[in-house]
Amino acid sequence: MIGEIAHFLSLSASALLCMVLIFNLFFAFAEEHANQLILSLKLFNQACWLIFISFGMYVYLAIIDDFSIAYIANHSNSQLPIFYKVTSIWSAHEGSMFLWIVFLTLWSIFFINFLKKDHPLKKLTLLILSLIILGFLLFLLLTSNPFERILPFGALEGADINPVLQDPALAIHPPMLYLGYVGFVVAFSFITAFLLHGNFQLQWEQDIRKWSFVAWIFLTVGITLGSWWAYYELGWGGYWFWDPVENVALMPWLAATAFMHSLFASSKSNILKTWTMFLGILIFALSLFGAFIVRSGIIDSVHSFANDPERGLYLLSFSGLITLLALGIFAYRLPQLNSSKLVVTGSKESFLSMNNILMMTAIFSIFLGVTYPLIIESMSGEKVSIGPPYYNTIFSPLILITSFFIMISVEALWQRSLPIRAVAYSVLPTIFFASISVYIIWIYTQIFSMLAYVGIFSGLLIFYSYFFRTINNFFKKRYINKGSAIAHMGLGLLFFSVSMNSILSYEKNINLFSGQSERINESIQEFMFKDIKVYPASNHEVISAEVFILQDQKKIFLNPQKRQYMTRGQITSETAIHATPLKDTYLTIGDQLENGSWTFSLKINYFVKWIWLSSALMVLGISIAMFKKKLT
Amino acid sequence: MNQILRLSLILLPVMIIVFFGKVLLFDGEKQASNFDAKSFPVFQLNDLNGNLVQADALKGIKLLNVWASWCITCLVEHPFLTNLSENDIDIIGLNYKNKDTKAIAWLKKHGNPYELSIYDPRGDLAFELGVTGAPESFLIIDNQVVAHIQGELNQLKWDSIFLPIINAEKQRQ
Repeated sequence: MIGEIAHFLSLSASALLCMVLIFNLFFAFAEEHANQLILSLKLFNQACWLIFISFGMYVYLAIIDDFSIAYIANHSNSQLPIFYKVTSIWSAHEGSMFLWIVFLTLWSIFFINFLKKDHPLKKLTLLILSLIILGFLLFLLLTSNPFERILPFGALEGADINPVLQDPALAIHPPMLYLGYVGFVVAFSFITAFLLHGNFQLQWEQDIRKWSFVAWIFLTVGITLGSWWAYYELGWGGYWFWDPVENVALMPWLAATAFMHSLFASSKSNILKTWTMFLGILIFALSLFGAFIVRSGIIDSVHSFANDPERGLYLLSFSGLITLLALGIFAYRLPQLNSSKLVVTGSKESFLSMNNILMMTAIFSIFLGVTYPLIIESMSGEKVSIGPPYYNTIFSPLILITSFFIMISVEALWQRSLPIRAVAYSVLPTIFFASISVYIIWIYTQIFSMLAYVGIFSGLLIFYSYFFRTINNFFKKRYINKGSAIAHMGLGLLFFSVSMNSILSYEKNINLFSGQSERINESIQEFMFKDIKVYPASNHEVISAEVFILQDQKKIFLNPQKRQYMTRGQITSETAIHATPLKDTYLTIGDQLENGSWTFSLKINYFVKWIWLSSALMVLGISIAMFKKKLT
Repeated sequence: MNQILRLSLILLPVMIIVFFGKVLLFDGEKQASNFDAKSFPVFQLNDLNGNLVQADALKGIKLLNVWASWCITCLVEHPFLTNLSENDIDIIGLNYKNKDTKAIAWLKKHGNPYELSIYDPRGDLAFELGVTGAPESFLIIDNQVVAHIQGELNQLKWDSIFLPIINAEKQRQ
């Protein structure tokens, strides 16, 4: 019964949203009336509340184990702790789409109600938001109904959540990511409303700035958590795989990053204003593209949900419709927006334009990497795969160019050409120190890899230029843009640690009988496989190995495990990790060979912690920038 | 220049949408209809009663249904399978990752539509077949796997996927 009520509330919400749209279309050509907006807003708010209540009831159904609901029966189990009963809602397509819509609604209701009462763009924004929410709500209810019952009689027990998803990270990784993705609906709808409205004297940047920053923070945290989860919990042995779904998350992130930079200068230059609007539309379009790729089953990936062409078609046509609407209006208004005033070479605006161009290049490269295999397969039937080598070769020159521009731009000024002397003062020492550091690393490691050194050099260029500037400004008691400095140093650190990780990390496959030991290399003097045990646990069987490692004169005990889950028969690997600030000793247990010996995979991963640190620095930097009152 | 830019802002997304639409609409079908017949994997397993399954068990037109007592959807499709077996369709069960006592109890409780059920507690044969979970159904003609569906088998899927092949096969004979 509760299920039906929740279902009915969602249906009513879509009916209310329909009313908002029809009502406003009906009066579109009539004279403007103050009550029109008030009524629309009321209907909209009520629709949003109905969606929240409906989702709340759905959470309740999951907690009380209502296995007559097909989705809950297929993804939950009465034995699960309540925490996982709730998180199981977003462990597959229908429920996670529901959550996606709830977040969409959440952003929309907050934004529209925080907007000034008489803001000229309020009505149009409201209409666009209603259209978007309605479209996705109908998608949910028509093609992937989470309320569907198992008839005539329900299941007695649930099929259980996928064991790799029984992890606290599942509770936060998808919600964070979704909050980030859909958060850009604010920028998207507001910019589209601005373009539709046609009064270009209006200032819109301030109204969406904070919202976009918060969305960016969620997106960054979501992506980082996914990477962290893959590394620590799923035992994939790495943090980034250029998986198609990781790529479709990275594209909106890059667009959003460019957007935020552009937003700073948007009110100062018309050319950048155009860029900002385009990027604002692009971020949400790319988020929708991401949803389409994951939910249409068009690409095989660890992240993709079950294949259903009907869903794919709906998503494609609806996402396509809103994107084309926004881009169409943008293209229509473009001549009115462009001004003949050129950007001064060497000014801050010119560097921001350059930044936009580089980001767009990166986005296009990733887009090509994601779609190229599909294009080839569709045309010739051949299967090709595009992996890390493609991305590494494309990105390393891009990163180098970017870092050069960042380095020069540090001293740039608004609307004025860059003073050559200032550049020389900051650029020369930066290049000098970065080169010295790279040389030291090379002497110390004795490993040469062109791509990696390009990354290290670029990372250090960015890091040093902001570092020196901050110190210099501190002593001269000049203004320091803390947020920007921290975020950029984080970026530099990210390039640096990713590249260092790629040259220093190594992997060893070890094959031993229990009781045997082996010398691996100078750092790992002894690897001893002490014992292996097999024992049953609550809902799985455990194979647990005890390993002793003598590494750099320190004794380490590790105990990697393998688990076989009874209900699904799935095998998961529990990695044992010994982490120090500089490197992680990462051990997974493999298979037993026919002669009775066991295989182990030992990975020594360098600078992994630093990668999370750099991401945290970027988030911190943006958080600081967000609370600044004025645009600088 | 500006005109080209404006035009490409619209045309580029349209091209992308048309391309993905084409992939969704047409490329998927190609895959489904090109399901290559492949021989049924060689296996040596007992049935639920403990007798070795004979090699001729999969001669003729057989429906192989992957099931388990822990599988809810299996219970959902159970009446439909019973209906099929009453209409002279030979159904072979593949009892997947299940305890034999539980499986037998399940059959006793709900009825047994299967001619016999191959007992595959570790999922070895299921792995060879490419089973991802229960239920799944395979249409097998003379030891050749000719069609495969995942999830619940119902009238709709039966009529659209399995029945045409069975009718064609019967006509050929």
